[in-house]
Amino acid sequence: MKIVVLVKYVPEPTATWTFADDHTLDRQSVEGRLSELDEYAVEQALRLAETVPGAHVGYLTMGPARAVEGLRKALAMGGDDAVHVLDDALHGSDAVATSLVLAAALRRIGFDLVLCGMASTDAEMSVVPVMIADRLGLPAVTQAAAVSTDGSSVTVRRDTDEATEELAAPLPALVSVTDRSGDVRLPSFRTIVAAKKKPVATWSVADLGIAPEQVGAAGAATVVRAARPRPAREAGTVITDDGDAAVHLADFLAANKLL
Amino acid sequence: MAVRVIVGLLLIVAAFGSAGRRLLMLYRLGRTAQPVEPGRIRVGAAQLRGEAAEVLGQRKLLTWTVPGTAHLLTFWGFLILGLTLIEGFGALVDRDFHIPWIGTQPWLGFLEDFFAVAVLLAVAVFAGIRLRHRPAREGTRSRFFGSHLGGAWLILFMIFNVIWTLLLYRGAQINTGNFPYENGAFASAAVARVLAPLGATANDVIETAGLLLALGVVLGFLVIVVHSKHLHIFTAVPNVRLSRRPRALGALQPVRSGGKPVDFDDPGEDDVIGRGAIEDFTWKGMLDFASCTECGRCQSQCPAWNTGKPLSPKLLIMSLRDHALAKAPYLLAGDDHANVDALALAEAQRPLVGDDGVITPDVLWSCTTCGACVEQCPVDIEHVDHIVDMRRYQVVMEASFPREAAVLLRNLEHAGDPWGRGAPARLEWTAKLDFPVRVLGDGETLPEDAEYLFWVGCAGAFDERATRTSRAVAELLHTAGVEFVVLGSGETCTGDPARRLGNELLFQELARQNVQTLTSAGVRKIVTTCAHCFNSLGNEYPQLGGDFEVVHHTQLLSRLLAEGRLTPVRPVEATVTYHDPCYLGRHNRVFAAPRDLLGSVAGVRLTEPDRTRERSFCCGAGGARMWLEEPLGTRINENRTDELIATGAEVVAAACPYCIDMLADGVAQRAAEGVTVTDVADVLLRSVRQPEEAS
Ligand code: SF4
Ligand code: SF4
Repeated sequence: MKIVVLVKYVPEPTATWTFADDHTLDRQSVEGRLSELDEYAVEQALRLAETVPGAHVGYLTMGPARAVEGLRKALAMGGDDAVHVLDDALHGSDAVATSLVLAAALRRIGFDLVLCGMASTDAEMSVVPVMIADRLGLPAVTQAAAVSTDGSSVTVRRDTDEATEELAAPLPALVSVTDRSGDVRLPSFRTIVAAKKKPVATWSVADLGIAPEQVGAAGAATVVRAARPRPAREAGTVITDDGDAAVHLADFLAANKLL
Repeated sequence: MAVRVIVGLLLIVAAFGSAGRRLLMLYRLGRTAQPVEPGRIRVGAAQLRGEAAEVLGQRKLLTWTVPGTAHLLTFWGFLILGLTLIEGFGALVDRDFHIPWIGTQPWLGFLEDFFAVAVLLAVAVFAGIRLRHRPAREGTRSRFFGSHLGGAWLILFMIFNVIWTLLLYRGAQINTGNFPYENGAFASAAVARVLAPLGATANDVIETAGLLLALGVVLGFLVIVVHSKHLHIFTAVPNVRLSRRPRALGALQPVRSGGKPVDFDDPGEDDVIGRGAIEDFTWKGMLDFASCTECGRCQSQCPAWNTGKPLSPKLLIMSLRDHALAKAPYLLAGDDHANVDALALAEAQRPLVGDDGVITPDVLWSCTTCGACVEQCPVDIEHVDHIVDMRRYQVVMEASFPREAAVLLRNLEHAGDPWGRGAPARLEWTAKLDFPVRVLGDGETLPEDAEYLFWVGCAGAFDERATRTSRAVAELLHTAGVEFVVLGSGETCTGDPARRLGNELLFQELARQNVQTLTSAGVRKIVTTCAHCFNSLGNEYPQLGGDFEVVHHTQLLSRLLAEGRLTPVRPVEATVTYHDPCYLGRHNRVFAAPRDLLGSVAGVRLTEPDRTRERSFCCGAGGARMWLEEPLGTRINENRTDELIATGAEVVAAACPYCIDMLADGVAQRAAEGVTVTDVADVLLRSVRQPEEAS
């Protein structure tokens, strides 16, 4: 069984983000990491692989040169190999173009199961998984809190506000997992050392048979017109209780149309 | 005479045969362990001084006056009585034997008898201590709890036997005219007077029988010693000699695998990080385990044990020793385990750390690395290093650690601080200051006029209480005209909590980044308010090529006071007690500066808690325990807080942000009215500020 995990290298959430002149995030100036939400997908893939003899876990990412660090981190957690789609033409791609590239890469890699996180921690759109499933004609089961497989189908548990659902889909399929799916492992020394020798292939868009104008800013269906830093958060109001705190609190809530 | 020679020889052969086999086995067991660090073997002045002070002078034992004195007398007694052993062996072949040259001098006879009596008295004292502090009476509070009690009594009984048999045959020798000393040997003379009425023949028989008995007892004692915890009388000497000098505190040791340092840039595939099996320890580690006297001094001071947690440093060392001995047949069999007996095989299957392991995870993770055990141990066992080494294996090789620690590790890895706040927030503490703090920009070098780099630390930047200390120190330095800069977002955690949790990989990553930042900025002098940063920067960064002159703020401030650059003007009327942070006091011997500083403020009445200075009791936060839950036993911080409150102090002053947090929580928990917990610098600031600007 071949599992491919889609991972994204994102800017560190606690760092200061800056935007370049074309309104894209300046990835050079900020430390990056394997998206925390994708770590849960990696974890689930590795756990599934432990239950299926001979399972193969590969990783796929699309991103700038440094994105390979995200792959290395995933490989340090476990798994076998990785593919990095790296091409200057990809700069400024939107979700539609991203799904085009990743779907093509998945087709080329071959898979039984595609796993991904519930969203990226930078753009937080959550649309790429389903777009990919659509392009590949796969059943997509999103927001899984638990995943298991018997080798021919995949079963997931999904917790919604109203109910806990159990869903099954025949393989091949695509599953996205939530951050409730299970604690992420710390890479152990042996897997870290072993990861250095695991193969990482680098593909260009041409390798995938995609024309440069189909991707990047040129191929994007949306345009970022402006990017402004969020205004600094203002200090909250402190109410000292002189016996009338409740009244002040009610006034405050009313004034903010919360009551 | 023939009887003497034959029986004597038989005894000698039997005893030396048995003891020799045992010692050979122990030696071979040591050979299965890892090589020691090269620095250990070096003999320098520090090593010789250590040996002289701790073995000959019994320095650490004497910190406990009564048992220490008794042990001093026993130790010197056995050295001196070694002479009577020579006399005894000589008397086997020559009834008239005496040690050449000095062997008939009265002072020697006196010395021998003096120590014989002294040892007898010491045995009585030891017996008294053992009765008074017996576990049956004191439970887990007894330092002997968990020690081999029967074995200890047997040893005392044997020492008693050594002395009375010795005096018996010496007395008889006097009566038969074979005694080397005309006078001086007062105790032997007293025995002689008792034996004299029995007549010449009887004394003749008693002399031979007593001699053989005495030698038999001594040789039997030898056999018992090498098979018991009393082995320390042989191993303590090399163990003290090979221990870290001046003490195994402060820096943790770099990771070595197979005796070689691990290159974290390009680690080898078979490198082992930390200790995952007993044979992963170095032979010095094994020597440590063999040297434990089970005295329980460590246990009596351990904050974990004293608050009902399962960790006792003594029991930990004993478990490791017992395991090493039980596994020995397996280890000594080499690669062919076919003939190893079932018990040893079973022992070999036991994990070193695990729920059914030699050391349980609850024991391993209870340690605050406070170092009280190392401080106490009379034979210089290096508990903290061993504990962290086992943690290293658990975390790095097995990825196994308390669940809560995952958050800490993730925050350190991604945000560079335990709280996960991130570099951009590192200057927020400066906002309330009424003067600008100079910040060293990315890639800038230290300006000429800046004397110090102020290492704010994660707590100093993010923890509410600690930011107050940061501001107090900044204000005091500013007042004194000391130019300093901070790194702001260029700072990351020193890696102390990661390293003490056992995550050496993360420590290396963080520490190297900091060394790189500091070195490229041309930093030479660093001042810091955090005892943990102080320890890492000053003691551990040299391991990574970062050599800086690091001072704690209490040191710098007390110097500024002495130089008259700071003047306390307003009295602070308060009873103040001072809590020695482990990493400032015990680990780094900064005891005077914070006290000088408090002493310089008029109005301050300084009171000391019971456990103070070298014996200070941990606040519970060290060893990354700050970030772990404390579900077992009672809380360490509350135990310490109670003691500090009991001094009657209105102000509890400390000099480490973690201590202050822990103690402030303790005070809040106890709802102690009118007690505040604060940094020493804060007390000084209150006094230095002009009245009109006081706030
Ligand atoms: S370092 Fe402190 S907590 Fe750890 S075993 Fe020693 S005395 Fe106990
Ligand atoms: S480790 Fe040291 S202090 Fe503790 S019981 Fe053994 S000899 Fe005594």
